[in-house]
Amino acid sequence: MKVLVINAGSSSLKYQLYDMRSESVLASGRVERIGMDSSIVTHEPVDKPEVRNVSEILDHVTAVKRVVEMLTHPEYGAISHLNEIEAVGHRVVHGGEVFSSSVLVTQEVKLEIRRLFDLAPLHNPAHMMGITAVESNLPDVPQAVVFDTAFHQTMPNTSYLYPIPTVLYRRHKIRRYGFHGTSHSYVSEQAAEYMKKPLESIKMITCHIGNGASCAAILNGKSFDTSMGMTPLEGLMMGTRSGDIDPAIVPFVMNKEELTLNEVNSMLNKHSGMLAISGISSDMREVTEAMQDGDKNAKLAFDMYTYRVKKYIGSYAAAMNGVDTIVFTAGVGENSVDLRKAICEGISFLGIELDEERNEERRKDAREITTDSSRVKVLVVPTNEELLIARDTYNLVKQAKMS
Amino acid sequence: MYIKTVGVVGIGTMGQGIAEMLASKGLDVIIIEHTDERLAYGQQMIEVSLDKQIEKWALTKSEKKLIMNRIEPATSYEKLAACELVIETITEDLEQKKAVFEQIDNICGPEVILASNTSTLSLTELASVTKHPDRVIGMHFIYPVFKIDLVEIVRGLKTSEDTFTRTKHFVEEIINKKGVMVFESPGFVTTRLICLFINEALHVLEEGVASAEDIDNAMRIGYSFQHGPFEMCDRFGLDSVLAALDRMFREYGELKYRPSIVLKKMVRAGHLGAKTGVGFFKYDKDGDRI
Repeated sequence: MKVLVINAGSSSLKYQLYDMRSESVLASGRVERIGMDSSIVTHEPVDKPEVRNVSEILDHVTAVKRVVEMLTHPEYGAISHLNEIEAVGHRVVHGGEVFSSSVLVTQEVKLEIRRLFDLAPLHNPAHMMGITAVESNLPDVPQAVVFDTAFHQTMPNTSYLYPIPTVLYRRHKIRRYGFHGTSHSYVSEQAAEYMKKPLESIKMITCHIGNGASCAAILNGKSFDTSMGMTPLEGLMMGTRSGDIDPAIVPFVMNKEELTLNEVNSMLNKHSGMLAISGISSDMREVTEAMQDGDKNAKLAFDMYTYRVKKYIGSYAAAMNGVDTIVFTAGVGENSVDLRKAICEGISFLGIELDEERNEERRKDAREITTDSSRVKVLVVPTNEELLIARDTYNLVKQAKMS
Repeated sequence: MYIKTVGVVGIGTMGQGIAEMLASKGLDVIIIEHTDERLAYGQQMIEVSLDKQIEKWALTKSEKKLIMNRIEPATSYEKLAACELVIETITEDLEQKKAVFEQIDNICGPEVILASNTSTLSLTELASVTKHPDRVIGMHFIYPVFKIDLVEIVRGLKTSEDTFTRTKHFVEEIINKKGVMVFESPGFVTTRLICLFINEALHVLEEGVASAEDIDNAMRIGYSFQHGPFEMCDRFGLDSVLAALDRMFREYGELKYRPSIVLKKMVRAGHLGAKTGVGFFKYDKDGDRI
């Protein structure tokens, strides 16, 4: 079975076509600048050169049409006929409290995703456009949706409630949802497989550290707590996001600096984090380089960043009454040797013995970076959210066909 | 028809604000002025406004770049042929505005909406110089455009239902502002009420009841206005307020619209408000109160 995975944004759309027999990618690509007269389609078939195409793409329906045309193109396509696409899987950021796992798209599911527009105003409407666009281009192909929040729906209420008036939870569903769920779920399974132990038997902390960053405490194979909350702003310090701050700062600053809601939102989401402290960049590579060249602010940004990851690891170890495995994943987590070293060195009391050589190795597969005698194992596991979306979609569609 | 490219004719205070707001909403904008100097000045003022937003953390530098890239300056009206909507925001003078509408009517296809940002003039009269008066409509934005989410959508006598529906859709769905429907009448709703408010404040000042500062504080704090009547007047431009009052006085013939003598005197002295650095209060070159 061939499965098309789609991640639709408001003006962009990324796609991968998987052959599920071998779980291999046949082609991938993206459509950028949707809604303008010079939209760009970049198509990358696996064993053929990349194709770029500029044309007018005014909506998601046309965008998906172009994607299908690319995939079935006689020259650089990956399949000969579009009926080879047997299922489509979508990434959806917010699944609210209703979706605790991936589901097939039905009328009710679409209605529910619409109801969640309030909680994810930047993302869910765009995902919905992606779903409708596939419907009109491939009307008979089953679709599935995979939610960033679903994996964390197992959190107990001690983890997901905020200590504020409960009427706010009842009225507006204000609670912690957590994000990056697909990634935390994928890497925790990969890590258990690597260690040849059942996931249920491991107390695990997964650190997804990319542009956005979050930690998850995984107990009995389920998400027990995670650092992002109602929105992706809570938790760790990130590239341009503040992470945890005293909430009283918000009204205080709004008053002192005469800021509007929009301005204070943008300040915390786009002008804070490493960018604000280093004054240089939101990119870990650039900050690390500047630090090594002796820049004090870059060092402060790096130290604050790693300190906050450390705090979360410590608190999750306490929350689970122990930890067996720590996993690093995503752009920074997979690639920054310095970041992993700084974090692991400061928490040796937990039973972590970093193997510097192993840490410095650069590979594309899952690997261990602690010594053989280390009581707590630290792993680097490359994430692959698209593959998990493809797998969930494949399984859901297969089950539906059998029943 | 999708609206992707919008023309803005006249790049004064309102034109700058409208162009900046449209570009930040992701639309391509073509700005038109007589001379390259005025275009450059308009662009520079848009940059100043965006820089102020960066200072307030509302924007990032790369977002500013993207916004500026969407604004294309031109001195020739021919460029407007690429637009699906043209908004005229030149000075509030009927004859000049008529001349603009006559020109763009010839350049733009019949389905293109031609809008005027006029606050007091007759849309029906503006439309009379065009071959397709049904596509002429008023879109009255309020200063500062990016902050005030209201547009008065003004129907002239011949404005078609289709033009109104498309304009309302554009206002509410594309630029996310509240659109209120107003039938043509001098000063519509907002200008008529606010100019009377300012004029009455001027009478209170003339009579020596209170100082400008105290009148502003009283109304600002007492009734949750963002600015009091005098700072409001400074920010609109004293000349614009005078012109609006004059126009309404002429049209309605009622004494309550007669502009205050103080206002006339200050305009004659060139104290036009924030844009000249001095009006009822003093301002720096960025328009911040000193």
